[in-house]
Amino acid sequence: MLFRFALRQGRWGLAGFSLLAFLLALLQSAGFYQVAGHTAAERAAFGKSIALLAAQFTVIVPAPLRPDTVGGYVQWRAYGFFAIVFAIWALASGVGASRGDEERGLVEATLAAGVSRADALIARFAAFTASVIVAAAAGAAGVYAGTDRLHDWIDPGSVAAASLLLLGLALTCYAMTLLVCQLTPARMATALAGGVLLVLFLVNSLGRSLDLLRGWRWLSPFYYYDLSRPLAPGGAIDVRAIEVLLVIAIVAGLAAAIAFSYRDLGSPLLALRLRAHGVIREPSRVVWWRIPVARGLYDRRAGLIAWTVGMAALAVVFVLLTKSIVQPMLGISSLAPYFRAIIHGEIYPSFLGFIWFGFAELLFAGYAITHVARWSAEDSDGRLELTLGNPISRTAVIIERALVLVAGLAFIATVSAAALGVESQAQAIDVSTRKLVEASLLLVPFGLFFAAIGAVMAAFIPRATVGLMAGFAIASYFVTQVGPIFKWPDLVLDVSPFKLFGQPLASGVDGAGLAIMVIVIVVGLGASALLLRRRDIGA
Amino acid sequence: MAVPAIRTHRLTKDYGAGRGLFELDLEIQPQEVFGYLGPNGAGKTTTIRCVMGMIRPTAGSAHVFGLDCLRDSVEVKRFVGYLPGDIPQFGGMRGQDVVAYFGGMRGGVDAKRVHDIAERFDLDLGRRFREYSSGNKQKLGILLAFMHRPKLLILDEPTGGLDPLNQQEFYRLLAEARDEGATVFLSSHILSEVEHVCDRVGIVRSGRLVRVANLEELHRIRLHHVEIEFADGAAVPEDAIRSAAGVDRVVVTDRVVKCVVHGSFDSLLKALGTDAVENLVSHEPSLEEIFLEYYREEASPDALSIRP
Repeated sequence: MLFRFALRQGRWGLAGFSLLAFLLALLQSAGFYQVAGHTAAERAAFGKSIALLAAQFTVIVPAPLRPDTVGGYVQWRAYGFFAIVFAIWALASGVGASRGDEERGLVEATLAAGVSRADALIARFAAFTASVIVAAAAGAAGVYAGTDRLHDWIDPGSVAAASLLLLGLALTCYAMTLLVCQLTPARMATALAGGVLLVLFLVNSLGRSLDLLRGWRWLSPFYYYDLSRPLAPGGAIDVRAIEVLLVIAIVAGLAAAIAFSYRDLGSPLLALRLRAHGVIREPSRVVWWRIPVARGLYDRRAGLIAWTVGMAALAVVFVLLTKSIVQPMLGISSLAPYFRAIIHGEIYPSFLGFIWFGFAELLFAGYAITHVARWSAEDSDGRLELTLGNPISRTAVIIERALVLVAGLAFIATVSAAALGVESQAQAIDVSTRKLVEASLLLVPFGLFFAAIGAVMAAFIPRATVGLMAGFAIASYFVTQVGPIFKWPDLVLDVSPFKLFGQPLASGVDGAGLAIMVIVIVVGLGASALLLRRRDIGA
Repeated sequence: MAVPAIRTHRLTKDYGAGRGLFELDLEIQPQEVFGYLGPNGAGKTTTIRCVMGMIRPTAGSAHVFGLDCLRDSVEVKRFVGYLPGDIPQFGGMRGQDVVAYFGGMRGGVDAKRVHDIAERFDLDLGRRFREYSSGNKQKLGILLAFMHRPKLLILDEPTGGLDPLNQQEFYRLLAEARDEGATVFLSSHILSEVEHVCDRVGIVRSGRLVRVANLEELHRIRLHHVEIEFADGAAVPEDAIRSAAGVDRVVVTDRVVKCVVHGSFDSLLKALGTDAVENLVSHEPSLEEIFLEYYREEASPDALSIRP
């Protein structure tokens, strides 16, 4: 019963990550035949090129082994990426299980029903284990579905080993998240557990190149994941590494269970005493609270600053990577069609525009979706009801929400454009200032486009809106990224809203795309205002 | 005659399956403190949300100071201080930020008034919302409802989570608001709360208004628990008592008869005749008992009707 309940709690994660694993494995295995060619000579040349290219990305995924084979390629492109995806899933799921449920009162209700703390934690652990097994199996199914079995053969034992490795890594990350969550206040659990996993990830990934960290890689569970590459022909299966991962998962899980049994619900194991301060009886004197739109931005200031700094830093990183990625790729003849599909005009600005704005679009869509999530939450937690208890109309609420989002998007776009422009100058990449400003400002309607659709969806299916919108954004991103390579029909490519954005840094603003975005924004926000006026609040 | 502070006409919100609010006719005069009583799920919050324009009635209308609650919802809110049944979550916002946020939205909030209310309830606005106990969250909600001295207070179960001392402070605040001219519409399932502060009471059950009465009227409802002890050797006129008008739930144990008398004692006294009654005790019904009497699920519809 407890297990079934725990499984139900994580059903969206199970469905989403299983689908993601299946699609990614399918895309990479099927895509191998599109990009690698079919003759031995073509594949050998492709393998060399990929090895060269992969050297640029060892900070994220390990260098590939036998990328000239479908097994080696999938191991690198899919299972290297799975390590990150499954770790993120473990983090989200672990925080939710240990502190999220506690914040919502579910843990208290469960314990009050006579369930021991150990049983509650074991049930969550078992449910997550079952979910990862299903998702890993979905990934394996994707590999098989995409592989041309007439010409290539991937040993089922190797796929099983790759899935087992994934399970070991996910459980280790999950158990470590559970442990960290016992030691930290609930509001900091995600940040601290995420920080710990990020540090462990970077110790391993940077340790591949930096001597300073090489000696510390053994501390990271990602290191033990890297030791085996079962899908690649000749790739090792390090049984001891799998054992180490499972032992870490068990030890960390046990430590989390012990810490959970000793700590107070709602508090970390070692709680700091509250600091004494003078009692305050007056309302805040911060002027922003009194100004429409500004109060919304001020309320979200921490998130806005984090997004802005993160996006600006990413923009700089993308500029830094541009030349080092493009130069080796220019020598790869098999990638020529890829370049032809994405490059228009000068190669460096065009490539920078393609990779940066492609990724920035995804992140701006993500930022807009976080606002939609907030709007849904305000409706369900009663904040909208309290807001409407004041002399403010429902239409005004929609308008203010949209303006807060526009201001946030514009601020992030401006700062990241400035960072991109300055770093491009430093790297001698000739980016047109006018086009950069236009392209960056185009991110504002692009984000609003997602928000407008999300606002309408939230009126009907508030609980599923965020997941569906995130899935739509990610799927659209991948359609734009891989569609040209696979020569997908225009009908499919046109479905992606990323197509509407175009490539403004290379070709200028696409007027038709912008017009469609504006129409969707106006219609979406108008419809959501109409729906909010008709809808019952708090019922 | 003054425009009613709240007036509803056949106000209906039908959720289906017999749930919701049905044909509510209610009129609350300015400066009146009106208690709205009912068990959980009776339709109290639905009524309040209709009046606040949060939900659209299936039929009927609601007006506040003559303004339509839906059509003129923004104008209506200028007069209203609203405390919802559940205080929303404000996470890491400090109490002072929440007050400034909603104060800024409404405008015209006096910082001294905020200070006074916070001090009366010993509410520290410097703490983050997530650090507040449920009682402190409720105090913050009360502060938000009262801080702009509204003409009409609509309060959904306002004392939930407050300790007895703070409840008393809340009743004093409410009385002051009334003295200053405010009208109060207060939902509750706590009768003692209503006894403290209300001029009139409406009792709602299964979405329908059962009765509106002032407190004296409620007290006058002739419902008494009676215990009669007969002398040794005296015959107990059980059949006469059972058949007496307005008498029910008769239990006879040896020489003691317990029963409930609705309305006048005449019938019971006649039934007792000249038999020797050694002791007769009548318990004055508390509001709580009247309330329970209204809502005894097993009771017949007849038993629920009030006979003044």
